[in-house]
Amino acid sequence: MTMRDHSAIEELLSAEVLGGLDDRDREALYREMGEHGPDCAECRQLRDEYGEVAGRMAFAMDPAPIRPELEEETVELARMRGEAVPYRRVRGGRAGLWLVRRRHRRPHILRPLVAAAAAVLLFFGGWAARDLIEGGGPPFDVTTARVVTFQGEAGDLAVAYRPGQTGAYVFGSNLQAPPSNRVYEVWMFQEGTPVRGACFRPKPGGTSLTYLDANLETAQQMAVTVESPSCPSAPTTQPILTADLT
Amino acid sequence: MRSALLFEERSADPDRGDAVAGLDVTEARDRDLVRAIGRGNEEAFRGLFRRYAPSAMAVARRVVGQPYLAEEAVQEGFLALWRNPHAYEEMRGSVKAWLMATVHNRAVDLVRREETQRRRAENTGPHEGLVVLDDPAESVVDEMGLPEERKVVRAALEALPPEQRAVIELMYFSGLSQTTIAEKLSLPLGTVKSRTLLGMRKLRSTLSGMER
Repeated sequence: MTMRDHSAIEELLSAEVLGGLDDRDREALYREMGEHGPDCAECRQLRDEYGEVAGRMAFAMDPAPIRPELEEETVELARMRGEAVPYRRVRGGRAGLWLVRRRHRRPHILRPLVAAAAAVLLFFGGWAARDLIEGGGPPFDVTTARVVTFQGEAGDLAVAYRPGQTGAYVFGSNLQAPPSNRVYEVWMFQEGTPVRGACFRPKPGGTSLTYLDANLETAQQMAVTVESPSCPSAPTTQPILTADLT
Repeated sequence: MRSALLFEERSADPDRGDAVAGLDVTEARDRDLVRAIGRGNEEAFRGLFRRYAPSAMAVARRVVGQPYLAEEAVQEGFLALWRNPHAYEEMRGSVKAWLMATVHNRAVDLVRREETQRRRAENTGPHEGLVVLDDPAESVVDEMGLPEERKVVRAALEALPPEQRAVIELMYFSGLSQTTIAEKLSLPLGTVKSRTLLGMRKLRSTLSGMER
């Protein structure tokens, strides 16, 4: 049995566990480890032991105070988990899985009613409705719009848009409130890539009306995730609501 | 892809010893909690959160520099365990190291993606070394034996030659890449890499008790 050289892997791994590799070196690490194969015991030992060192380094710091609500908010997010659907990130092309529930908490009949109510609001409410809309946007005649409902257990949500034209409204009812320091962020998926839509928090009664300055004709799916108020440019959590536009 | 690489699935390897010898009671209890989380036990999840969230928050805040982003990293780290408890494998190391690595990975991803590094530099100035916070959670953590862990890890870091320690701390606690550190310290990249490797070998030897 020949002994293989692990010096390159060790050098790269010792930095990788600290978060110190750039993309090129990370690719080199994967290439090297790939050449050694999944059964390389020394590779695994290096990875595990350096990983343990890096993990324990966190304890060098004095612990930081935790907001009292954070535990409950984290548990709330945990309860929103569900089954997996594929996704691809905007940057980095990192493959992975999103989890989303597809069971419905309440009968489907309510969803068209939500859509109809919003349609009436937009069509007849005219400019008065603008005050209710997050993100601005002109009212449009939704009798010519396509309305698609979202699937998920976080509440009733629908999107109305006119194919081929810019502008869409996302409206909801019975929406669960996100944790106190979180917002909902709407994403449009173009060929599997999530593109940022808009952020919103439901009003106290669980309703929402949000304008998207986007043309949905190029999107195949939409999703809603729970995000920080910074409204990140790529999703950081699993979707809690999804819609199929195809 | 760091987290995927570091803790990807593997089968038990009878030819090598456990990376973490001499598991203590706390670690055994942590592993029980992870098993319970695998059965959907919410109280077990809360138990791990209460024990390790303050330490996770400390490292996340240090890396991302913004409280709400740090909370995001901490939540994502713990939620990763809730969603897939089997991602943690006992043969590969301790629960606490796995959790902290998961949160740290998330924090580094966040800081790079959101470019908060620039904002943090504007707000906090140059690298400050390890931060000692006035900590209301200290009494809670005292009860859990973590101060001993902190003492051991700090001693291991302080035993490093300053130039090795500086590079490792910039990487881990400030979320900087080796390339960025080389630029920041006006050092050849190869020097940064060799200091990282030498320092990490010493830490590995000290913290895992293995001679190299």
